[in-house]
Amino acid sequence: MKRDAVSWERAAEVCEAAQGWLRAGAIDEATHEAIREAYRDPCVTPSQVWRALTAVMTTAVILCALGAFHVAIRPSLKVLPVLFFLFATACLVATERLEASPRLARRGAAGATSFWGGVFVLLGLGLFLSATAGISDDSAIDAVLLASALVWGAGCWRWGPPLFAGFSAVSLFLFLGRFPSGRVLWVLAGAALAAVAARRLDDAAWAPSHRRAAAVLVVTGVGALYVAVNVYSLDEQLLEELQRFSSARIAPAPGRFAFIVSAVATAVLPLVVLLWAWASRRTFLLDTGIALLAVSLVTLRYYVHVAPLWVVLTVVGAVLVTLALAVERALRRAPGREMAGITADALFSDEQRQQVLQVVPVVATLTPPAHSPVAVEKGLAGSGGQFGGGGASGKF
Amino acid sequence: MEIVAAVARLRVANVLSPTQAALFDRVARRHLVSVRFEVRVLLYLGVVLLTSGVGLLLAEHHRELGPWVIAVAIGLAAAGCLFWVSRQAAPFSWDEVSSPNLAFDYVLLLGLLLFASDLAYVEAQFTLLGPRWTHHLLVVGVVYVLAAYRWDSRTVLGLALTTLAAWRGVSVVLISGSFGTGDASALRSNSLALGALYVGAGALSVRWKRKPHFEEIFANAGLLLVLGALVSGVLGDQPMWGVWLAGLLSTAGLVMLLAFRLGRSLYFAQGVLAAYVGLLRLLFAPYGRQASSLPLLLAALLGIGALTLIFAAHRRMTER
Repeated sequence: MKRDAVSWERAAEVCEAAQGWLRAGAIDEATHEAIREAYRDPCVTPSQVWRALTAVMTTAVILCALGAFHVAIRPSLKVLPVLFFLFATACLVATERLEASPRLARRGAAGATSFWGGVFVLLGLGLFLSATAGISDDSAIDAVLLASALVWGAGCWRWGPPLFAGFSAVSLFLFLGRFPSGRVLWVLAGAALAAVAARRLDDAAWAPSHRRAAAVLVVTGVGALYVAVNVYSLDEQLLEELQRFSSARIAPAPGRFAFIVSAVATAVLPLVVLLWAWASRRTFLLDTGIALLAVSLVTLRYYVHVAPLWVVLTVVGAVLVTLALAVERALRRAPGREMAGITADALFSDEQRQQVLQVVPVVATLTPPAHSPVAVEKGLAGSGGQFGGGGASGKF
Repeated sequence: MEIVAAVARLRVANVLSPTQAALFDRVARRHLVSVRFEVRVLLYLGVVLLTSGVGLLLAEHHRELGPWVIAVAIGLAAAGCLFWVSRQAAPFSWDEVSSPNLAFDYVLLLGLLLFASDLAYVEAQFTLLGPRWTHHLLVVGVVYVLAAYRWDSRTVLGLALTTLAAWRGVSVVLISGSFGTGDASALRSNSLALGALYVGAGALSVRWKRKPHFEEIFANAGLLLVLGALVSGVLGDQPMWGVWLAGLLSTAGLVMLLAFRLGRSLYFAQGVLAAYVGLLRLLFAPYGRQASSLPLLLAALLGIGALTLIFAAHRRMTER
């Protein structure tokens, strides 16, 4: 990242924190102004709605322009990569220009141009290798995956979007999965990536967005490690499916020892991540540990039928609600509303925005399916229907 | 890291008091961590799993257990949740009322979902509504609305609005992957009527100061329905698409104007996107199935025009 962009980002971090302090009533307006004065952020930073809208419209402009050129010149498969490379160059140049301007850097357009620049580079390369250079599909896929890891990694390093770090890491793991010993490579690379990236999470020399990218890499590394050691993944040989078409894709069935080790690892790894989260007091690791624990419980249910599914769902649901209630109650009643430095209070996050956002998943998952009033009025008799609510769809 | 250094610097410069600096420093160094989001996620997952488990139980075992046992058991569970909620709740007010604790919203949600499941089950078993059995969704939606107002829950209000839309055959749920099932023109009419009703309810909430914070839930649901119906008419109604387009452009223009005056970026964004999609039909219509670069080029230029409008609106809008 450019030095200017890093300093703007650092100032923005402080201003954003001050905004949270003001929202929570921890500072007054005068103090907030004094902080903004001390850490002047020259960038125009619209809300997420504006940024998303700008990114969507920028995407529409780029894709329509590409489509117009494609229809106008009707390139053959051998010429098409040139068109992609030209558009990639245009997008990357536009990103550089946008990122250099404090008025334009954070509006969402730079994110869209950098994303499509990366996509076009990879599409152009893939088409060039398979259609023009005529190399085998396996080698073309390997080259594109490796290039993808490099392109997104470079994009993250240059412009900062943490999502690009995730793309880069996923590409790298897909590339490693192509080797016959892909599972071992996933274990080694996953552990190494998580360990190396974790050392940079608090590195003051790094830009804030690069530290966030490091957090994404930690999660990706832990996720890859978990996928590699998960007993279901081993049993079903999910990673072996990624191997080259030309290699013997049917790996020998895992031995009993490997199966037992994998089962133990499936149970232990989420607990290790939760312990790491407790020791480091990082909530993103806590979230990762909870997600992995949930996957491990689903894996356990797949192999060990302790009870019918409805019992498992009801009991686990009741346990989760009770656990959450107990944690919240204990924290609320503790002295200073905190225990061992952990609280259920909002601290300085935007509570009102979170309440509005929580409407979305609830509505998306728990709204009953639509009925057709026309069909009903035409005389569909009351022969029962679907359950309304609870996401249940059992028919009668 | 920036925050730790900034807090120290601001303390030295006397911008922050010692108490303020100590608290901010603790949070920045992660000596004080909030698990509010994690507790929320656990509650949400718990509610989803519990209601799914109950749904599965009913689907698999309703014959063995008998309808009365099931109906009474679920009814008792729902009543238990709602009783707890009513014990915990603050007195009713037309202003915003904070939840007494984090679990409040989710236990309320669980109680209402169990009530809805129970009602659907009773209707399926005893056919109380007869041929009009789908009206149970109307009952559920109205109960949700009443609960949302009594216990001041945006989440329940959102669920109420989509349930009422489902009663009229309109699905706004992403995972269903459709605008609904059945006759398209009837669905569009339903969608337009409900959407207008929701937008009107949002406006009246603010004007009459009756739960004014519900405005954004009402208005966003309403705009989605109105603009979605108009876009569906432009893209799907072959002979009348020009009329639909005129309606869409005038409505989207009005939405953008009002959003600009009210300082609501999300309404403005919905207006811009709907108008853009509608205009794409106008650009591509003369060419039919014939491949031409001109409409694509015009679509790109239209996008640049939209970006200019977005930048200008953002510069001048005072967001609330």
